[in-house]
Amino acid sequence: MKNNSGQGAEDPILQWVTFRLDNETYGINVMQVQEVLRHTEIAPVPGAPSYVLGIINLRGNVVTVIDTRQRFGLTPAPITDNTRIVIIEADKQVVGIMVDSVAEVVYLRQSEIETAPNVGTDESAKFIQGVCNKNDELLILVDLEKMMTEDEWAELSGF
Amino acid sequence: MSKSRLPVQEFVPEQTIQHYLDALLQDATEELARVETEPAVQLEAAPVAEPPPAPILRVALPPVIEPALAEPVLETAEQELVAPAPAINPVWREQSFEALLFDVGGLKLAVPLVSLGTIYPLDSEITPLFGQPDWFLGIMPTQAGNLKVLDTARWVMPERYSDDLKERLSFVISVEGYDWGMAVHGVHESIRLQPEQVKWRSQEGKRPWLAGTVIDHMCALLDVSALASLIVKGVASQASGNAPTPALG
Repeated sequence: MKNNSGQGAEDPILQWVTFRLDNETYGINVMQVQEVLRHTEIAPVPGAPSYVLGIINLRGNVVTVIDTRQRFGLTPAPITDNTRIVIIEADKQVVGIMVDSVAEVVYLRQSEIETAPNVGTDESAKFIQGVCNKNDELLILVDLEKMMTEDEWAELSGF
Repeated sequence: MSKSRLPVQEFVPEQTIQHYLDALLQDATEELARVETEPAVQLEAAPVAEPPPAPILRVALPPVIEPALAEPVLETAEQELVAPAPAINPVWREQSFEALLFDVGGLKLAVPLVSLGTIYPLDSEITPLFGQPDWFLGIMPTQAGNLKVLDTARWVMPERYSDDLKERLSFVISVEGYDWGMAVHGVHESIRLQPEQVKWRSQEGKRPWLAGTVIDHMCALLDVSALASLIVKGVASQASGNAPTPALG
């Protein structure tokens, strides 16, 4: 996958995979997305942190699945046919994030991305890398690296 | 069967507003009393020692309180905010100025037109962002760009806030020079105010966004720049925590 084109370095075009959570659209850097899975059985892990739904077997590899709703401070929602597990690589780890649905891949110029308001008191506010208007809706861009603290990433690697 | 509902309904909002203005005026009066006693120039009997009785609506006080605090302030966040505020708009305070009347949860407020940008009807969706304080409603796209919308009621009347207020918001008033807008319930006419009509307050109190009160119109005059400064500098987030801005309200 190519992550930028044209325009050179001053205003690169970035690709973002968009997904839906609680009726809002979020974007994550396409370079961090490995694949998208339908919802599959997730084996719970005793003693795991609350944001860990469990683990799945991905072609022989164990992948931890994160409860994205919980992580973002959103209310839980039932699993539907549209529910997806997005396999991502962040902090040198491969993990899955569960989302309500996956939408599309969009192209955004760096200059189109606005910084998010810096008023959030909650830890989760740091996950928001920026916002951008696309297709008449506001896209919330998520910084996957910041979705966990260093300690949490370290903890995840233990599963 | 006769019902006494109507008179009660008419009475309660008025009483609420009255109490609110009383509270604002009480703040202003306390400050005035302090300012008056500090220079030791006791003008008259100086009756106000501690908390004055609550409802003092028609006290004849000198119209303009100059917030002349020449002291270099300490480096606490709030004081840092307080210091520049009076200097932001010194001009409009000294001459007659236009102000827009609007209401938030039944409370009438006025804001100087010089501080305002655009009034947007709230017909487009406000996108909430997770992890934000509850006074931050989200982002609203406008022709001028994305506007960060704040729940004004949580700032100006946190003690009377109820969730249904959020459902009845009708307009967003953008703030000149900032990418912030205030969500309000109604927008009314503009009025011309003389400085003498405003009971000015200094910026030292717990409501830095309050420029003063206007008895003639039974409304509070907002200092939008001070409010925006609070937001921009993040004091609000420190002050609010989980509760709706108790330190500011």
